[in-house]
Amino acid sequence: MKEKFARWDTLFLLYLKRDWKKIMIWVLGLGLFSAAFVPAFEEIAKGQGLLAMYETLQNPAMIAMVGPTPIETAGDYTLGAMYAHEMLLFCGLFAMVISVLHVVSHTRKEEDLGLTELVRSFQIGRQANSLAAMMEILFINVILALFIGGVMVSFGADTISAEGSFLLGASIGIAGILGAGIALVMAQIMPASSGATGSALGIIGLLYIIRAGTDVSNVDLSMFNPLGWTYLTYPFTENNWFPLLFALIFIFILMVIAFSLEGGRDMGAGYLPEREGREHAKKSLLSVRGLFTRNNRGVIISWLIAFVIMGAAYGSIYGDMQTFLESNDMMKQMFTHSGISIEESFTGTIMMVMMALVSILPIAIVNKLFTEESRLHLSQLYASKVTRSQLYWTSVGLAIVAGLLGILLAAVGLGATAIGAMGDELTMDIVDFLAAGFNFLPAVLFFTSLAALALGWAPRIGKVVYIYLAYSFLLNYFGGILDLPDWLSKTAIQSWIPQMPIEEFDAAIFITITVISIALMIIGYLGYQRRDMVEGA
Amino acid sequence: MTEIVNIQGLQKNFGKFQALRDVNFTVRAGEVVGFIGPNGSGKSTTIRILLGIIKRDAGHAEIFGKDVWKESLEIHKRISYVPGDVTLWGNLTGGEIIDLFLKLHGGGDKQKRDYLIKRFELDPKKKAKGYSKGNRQKVGLIAALSADSDLYIFDEPTSGLDPLMEAIFQEEVEKIKEAGKSILLSSHILSEVERLADKVVIIRQGEIVETGTLDELRHLTRSTITLQTEENVAEIAAMNGVFDFKQQDNQATFSVENQYLNDILAKASKLGVKKFESVPPTLEDLFMRHYEG
Repeated sequence: MKEKFARWDTLFLLYLKRDWKKIMIWVLGLGLFSAAFVPAFEEIAKGQGLLAMYETLQNPAMIAMVGPTPIETAGDYTLGAMYAHEMLLFCGLFAMVISVLHVVSHTRKEEDLGLTELVRSFQIGRQANSLAAMMEILFINVILALFIGGVMVSFGADTISAEGSFLLGASIGIAGILGAGIALVMAQIMPASSGATGSALGIIGLLYIIRAGTDVSNVDLSMFNPLGWTYLTYPFTENNWFPLLFALIFIFILMVIAFSLEGGRDMGAGYLPEREGREHAKKSLLSVRGLFTRNNRGVIISWLIAFVIMGAAYGSIYGDMQTFLESNDMMKQMFTHSGISIEESFTGTIMMVMMALVSILPIAIVNKLFTEESRLHLSQLYASKVTRSQLYWTSVGLAIVAGLLGILLAAVGLGATAIGAMGDELTMDIVDFLAAGFNFLPAVLFFTSLAALALGWAPRIGKVVYIYLAYSFLLNYFGGILDLPDWLSKTAIQSWIPQMPIEEFDAAIFITITVISIALMIIGYLGYQRRDMVEGA
Repeated sequence: MTEIVNIQGLQKNFGKFQALRDVNFTVRAGEVVGFIGPNGSGKSTTIRILLGIIKRDAGHAEIFGKDVWKESLEIHKRISYVPGDVTLWGNLTGGEIIDLFLKLHGGGDKQKRDYLIKRFELDPKKKAKGYSKGNRQKVGLIAALSADSDLYIFDEPTSGLDPLMEAIFQEEVEKIKEAGKSILLSSHILSEVERLADKVVIIRQGEIVETGTLDELRHLTRSTITLQTEENVAEIAAMNGVFDFKQQDNQATFSVENQYLNDILAKASKLGVKKFESVPPTLEDLFMRHYEG
């Protein structure tokens, strides 16, 4: 034991010291995200809200996404039941994903970076590091569980019982530890840290998809799924602590596997051999465009998938929208306009919201060029016949293409699912959805151009564009409720654009914002061509 | 000989910090210039200005007679560059990155590429994130050496390489030197510079403090002499230009400024020379004198 785990406690304390800021953000952020929406749910539950939400969530598509509820009749659906139903699975998933990233970063990542090598030269056990990382995860998730329970109880809301609150917290905490367990096992098997992270997240994704199937077909089968043990506890309704016991046993088994695997491997090596890559580059890589596409490929594909899912998620509620929105004053105010069908006005608002999210992708792509620059990835390219103009316009061009694809996929995702849900009852066809989406193209271009402007003149503040985006998003999302003065709403770029299909297309505004965006991109280019590249010195 | 690189009165400030105060030197066609100086003395800054990565504040900097900032593309067609810290895209393999660099440079010699990959013992199928510092450096070197350029700029190119690989690098550089190419080699490994360079430029705190061939520089400094005589050697100690005099019996070790060497020899011959050894200053001695001074 001593040989293996000597001084794990020293490392554990070191981790707490090193990570305390991260832990604070983790516990507060995820904790509040999981627990603090009680007032918002109380708002939704008003009037016929619970009833409508219950009906909406009976839709198989929704069960596949958020999970089942044990409640069998709408009348028994309570605030607590709805909270656990909508929040638990997702918060548990978040807890898992964060724990996976954390565990791998403290185990295999440190090996890859060569930190472990140094640590092991001291009087530290060979497996002390893994034990310390797991103990840290345990510590964090226990705190998180208690914090969530405490915050929920503190609202004193009807049907949010103390037992249920702490069960909800414990379920999320256990989910985190479970994720860490999976990550630790994969960290032993895979050849490098990125593979460990990828495969652990992949397993969680797979478990999620499997449970989507079993939840819809036969919930009992979900009890065979480790992920099931984190959300089938049904807080505030059945308050079933048993699944957590299964989860704990499963975590214990994972630990035993992980530690015995670790005992048998060399530092820095996994059980799977590293996959050999290409000896020579494919033709498609051999250009600035090819290189940038390749470097952004992962980000682009995952965001595009997220956009389709997002569109489909909103689209799937079109069927029950009537019941749902009419029963809830807040929602009604946000999404309806007099004299227009509820679906159309919902489309107008939700399209604006979605396009704000779509804008994240092009901003990320433009900002990536500066990340590459400051990581010195481009040093050798500067010395080749590649021009700055090529670097800049390829990035901006790629961002625009990704933005166009994002709009297309989000709009199609929304439209196709909505049409599927409502059929002939829907007064809009797919072209209307596409028009409503591409109507916001100037806004997406505008955000892209702000990022490009920053890239050219003040690359270090490129991230500020996200803050402006978040600001515009919140302004748009809550603008309808808050009744803001006109000048204030107009500080969000999207507010200038009429919301189709409720309002008419305004060509003048469309063209003006597009031209302004292109102008900003050109101004950014002038700066990019002039400034010193940031390179360490 | 035509001047390939020509730098006159080069200055660069980063905010209040004056990174380059006054940099002047040239690289002629077919010449290998060793560019040495302590950390932070402005070597990399000078090179980045030459590459048009950053913009100078004053002075002239030309390569192939073209302005390094305004006509950087014309210049870049004919140069190769290896930075001291080659950073690579972790998701690409070494082979892919070499191909990419060659393509962006404008095509290189595929045979030479394969030859160098073998020579440097690089595994091109491995993803770059798995490479050690030395292997990353090899990727940069292979790409630069396979490209056909007129000027090669190396900024501490062998950092992280083992001595065997360092030797291979030196051999390959000698080959391009024989082919008549110009090379600007910034390095901390003085034996490397000594072996390869025709001319040495020493920079300190943003200023060039010494330029010349190794021979010329050696004349400026002291040789170390070991002298054994029949009569008492102590008289030498008081002579002009003698330093660090140490005597044991009739044998003395001291350093002498080269201009006084003749006086010393004349004196020594009167004392009856039994043994005389002269060690010329190494580049390291030169270097230390400038660094400490």
